[in-house]
Amino acid sequence: MKTSELAGFLGARCVQDRFEDRTIAGAYTSDLLSDAIAHAPDDGVLITIQAHKNTVAVGSLKDLCAIVICNNRPIPDDMIEAARDEGIALILTSESQFAVSGKLYPVLGT
Amino acid sequence: MIVRADFHLHSCLSPCGDLSMSPKTIARTLAERDVHIAALTDHNSALNCPAFDAACREFDITALFGIEAQGQEECHILCLFAEPEPALELGKELYDLMPPVMNVPEKMGDQVYVDENEDIAGEVDKYLITSAEIGMEDLSRRVLELGGLVIPAHVDRPSFSLTSQLGFIPDGPWDALEVVRMPDRSQYVNVLDTRNYPLITSSDAHFVEHIGRRAFDLDIGDEPLCRKDGRADLKTIRAALLRRPR
Repeated sequence: MKTSELAGFLGARCVQDRFEDRTIAGAYTSDLLSDAIAHAPDDGVLITIQAHKNTVAVGSLKDLCAIVICNNRPIPDDMIEAARDEGIALILTSESQFAVSGKLYPVLGT
Repeated sequence: MIVRADFHLHSCLSPCGDLSMSPKTIARTLAERDVHIAALTDHNSALNCPAFDAACREFDITALFGIEAQGQEECHILCLFAEPEPALELGKELYDLMPPVMNVPEKMGDQVYVDENEDIAGEVDKYLITSAEIGMEDLSRRVLELGGLVIPAHVDRPSFSLTSQLGFIPDGPWDALEVVRMPDRSQYVNVLDTRNYPLITSSDAHFVEHIGRRAFDLDIGDEPLCRKDGRADLKTIRAALLRRPR
């Protein structure tokens, strides 16, 4: 799956759409950023409720294609700006981490 | 007697800290801004504390040597000591407990420490803003064993804080809680329950212009701020923290 297809596939909204369109290598679900740093796959997607710019720093370290923010958590402007600077897609969904992970697992699970 | 205090400062050792934040620049700026006692608290490392010690002597600042530690719960906790050695010891232990995630300086920032002449003495290879494999209780216990103060950082902030990670302020051996803003008790809604712990504010400076912002008043009464050997007297500081608003 390409980054550009992710929001449509999830029925979610892309709130930061300036990114280089890449093939998504996998996904990881966690609300502990240190855990995401340790385990998220490079070029993958992070599924989380941590809607602040520190999450973008994790995305940058791991070269993430996209961050999916669940449960419609409000995304502050500085997070959107940081994601734009880093070229990481930000996707907002009303669904839970469980639901998003379940949808993506058949496509991205190995 | 009331002294101005800033207990939360990052140097060039923190990847998010500006390279211009050398211990000497920090001490000089603290002196210019009338802060009398200050703690260096880099993320998970104390390797700039020896240089901070020398710099604070030069500018007549009473120094505390600290670490902003991050353990399993991902809450940031200020661990403060009167001497550099226990801070360095804690830093060594945290280093061993951190995952082998290496820093990428071009992306995350440099993690350099300096000697007292401001020459770069070394660089930390592991990325410092990860979680050491230690729970908050064990971490606090270790800090107390090493003779330090335990102050959860920015507890009212939506990331890396007790409230963001746990949703509330748990019981703990907290000498105080650091808040970004003192709670407005005239507001009866949405005020964080700080459980009657003493509250302080500090700069959390990563850039020179932020040094000393939100510095707080520490009322030490008639007690000496320093011990005979010139180190901060933590007994005085503990007692003074008890006089802070709650």
